[in-house]
Amino acid sequence: MKLYLAQLWAVAWKDLLIELRSRERVGAMAGFTVLVGVLFNYAIDPTLVRPEDIASGLVWLTIVFAGTLGLGRTFELEAQDGAFQGVLMTPVPRDALFFGKVLSNYVILLVVVFIVLGVFGLFFSLDWGSSLGALVGGLALGALGFVAVGTLFSAVSSGTAMGGALLPILLFPLLVPVVIYGTSVTGRLLVGRPFTEVEGQLRILGAFALVALAVGAGLFRYVVEE
Amino acid sequence: MSFPGESEAPPLLDARGLVREFAGIAAVDGIDLSLPSGGFLVVFGPNGAGKTSLLRMLGGGLRPTRGEVWLGGQLIEAGSPRGRKRIGFLSHQTFLYGHLTARENLGFYGRLFGLNDIDQRLEHRLREVGLFERTDDLVGTFSRGMRQRLGLARTLLHDPDLVLLDEPYTGLDPHAAAVLCAVLETLHDGRRTVILVTHNLTQGLELADRVAIQVRGRFAWEGRSTDVHAHDFEVFYRETVDRGEGRT
Repeated sequence: MKLYLAQLWAVAWKDLLIELRSRERVGAMAGFTVLVGVLFNYAIDPTLVRPEDIASGLVWLTIVFAGTLGLGRTFELEAQDGAFQGVLMTPVPRDALFFGKVLSNYVILLVVVFIVLGVFGLFFSLDWGSSLGALVGGLALGALGFVAVGTLFSAVSSGTAMGGALLPILLFPLLVPVVIYGTSVTGRLLVGRPFTEVEGQLRILGAFALVALAVGAGLFRYVVEE
Repeated sequence: MSFPGESEAPPLLDARGLVREFAGIAAVDGIDLSLPSGGFLVVFGPNGAGKTSLLRMLGGGLRPTRGEVWLGGQLIEAGSPRGRKRIGFLSHQTFLYGHLTARENLGFYGRLFGLNDIDQRLEHRLREVGLFERTDDLVGTFSRGMRQRLGLARTLLHDPDLVLLDEPYTGLDPHAAAVLCAVLETLHDGRRTVILVTHNLTQGLELADRVAIQVRGRFAWEGRSTDVHAHDFEVFYRETVDRGEGRT
């Protein structure tokens, strides 16, 4: 178990270190988030709709689109100089490799989630403060399920001729539960509904994440194997 | 290939009936290979002969369409971590990350192999390939030759019993090729089994104790390096390839 965790952490650490130095994915995702925030700011007339009524949908769609942008690059970086082939020739269990990739993608996506909260808070004058813990918890649970599914399908799409263009087509239908329950949790908390009202939806988001992690870990070896 | 009477000990590497097809076309077409500990096999062959596919199957990086690979009595399967600790693989791709330093690259692979004494091992290997002074430099700043030498250090980091080398001389200048050659000579330690795929007939013959010529997915000729004469091997090689490809 100790070796397993060390291997898992080695994969995640390597990805995060590369990201820290290249800022390739976070840079693109953060840039995308800010631009979307600016566009929504001009596209929505606050005299016609209250920002807090539509913010949850905008927040979640921005996270999904920005996240897909970053996830699509997960295995492209590995393709440089055949590095992923080298990793596959080591004794690292394929599920440890999957969990390591999920962990690094999750950390990167959480950074983007906080950028999204900042951008939308700024442009739409949203008050996240009243139930920030529950809001972040809901976003974190939804993001975990998203990353688990996204990491698996990023591996699938990277091995195809269509590459990154295929990823959203494969991924978005599977993200419907995350978007439905995620927007519901975020929306309710934003308009001041009590935590008890979103408990059930948070459990569903947690269950989705667990199932996605388990299925992803089980299928990953078949996806990366030639 | 095997060499009857050479050794009574069971072979370290035993591959039986290896076939690999891509879209119905056989890249490797029924190769049997048996090598003892300490054997050094060099495989020559034209482009598209299936040499890389053969090596990747032997290393567990590619699932055979048919056939099996056994290493020290252990079945090597693509997708399974079993037996991987005993295999080192170097190709013309170095499997290194340009955004990591030499130390970080080797440290990463060391952790995947579950090594305990990573620092000592990586220092030893970096000195061996002449890159110790560049330990903390990003690999992205390395020349092609330096990357290949670091790739060799990565390959040997976990002290594998079976070393698979796929055209490691590709793109190297004479100095880098000489360093690589010197390290490869140290692999002749009687314990390690090495399979080298190369187009470089001279360097290959210098290192080999067994030689095979692979054409169209099969071994068209195999023998001991003492069976061939370096000065006329090139002619013999061309004739064998032409025969194998049906040009004569």
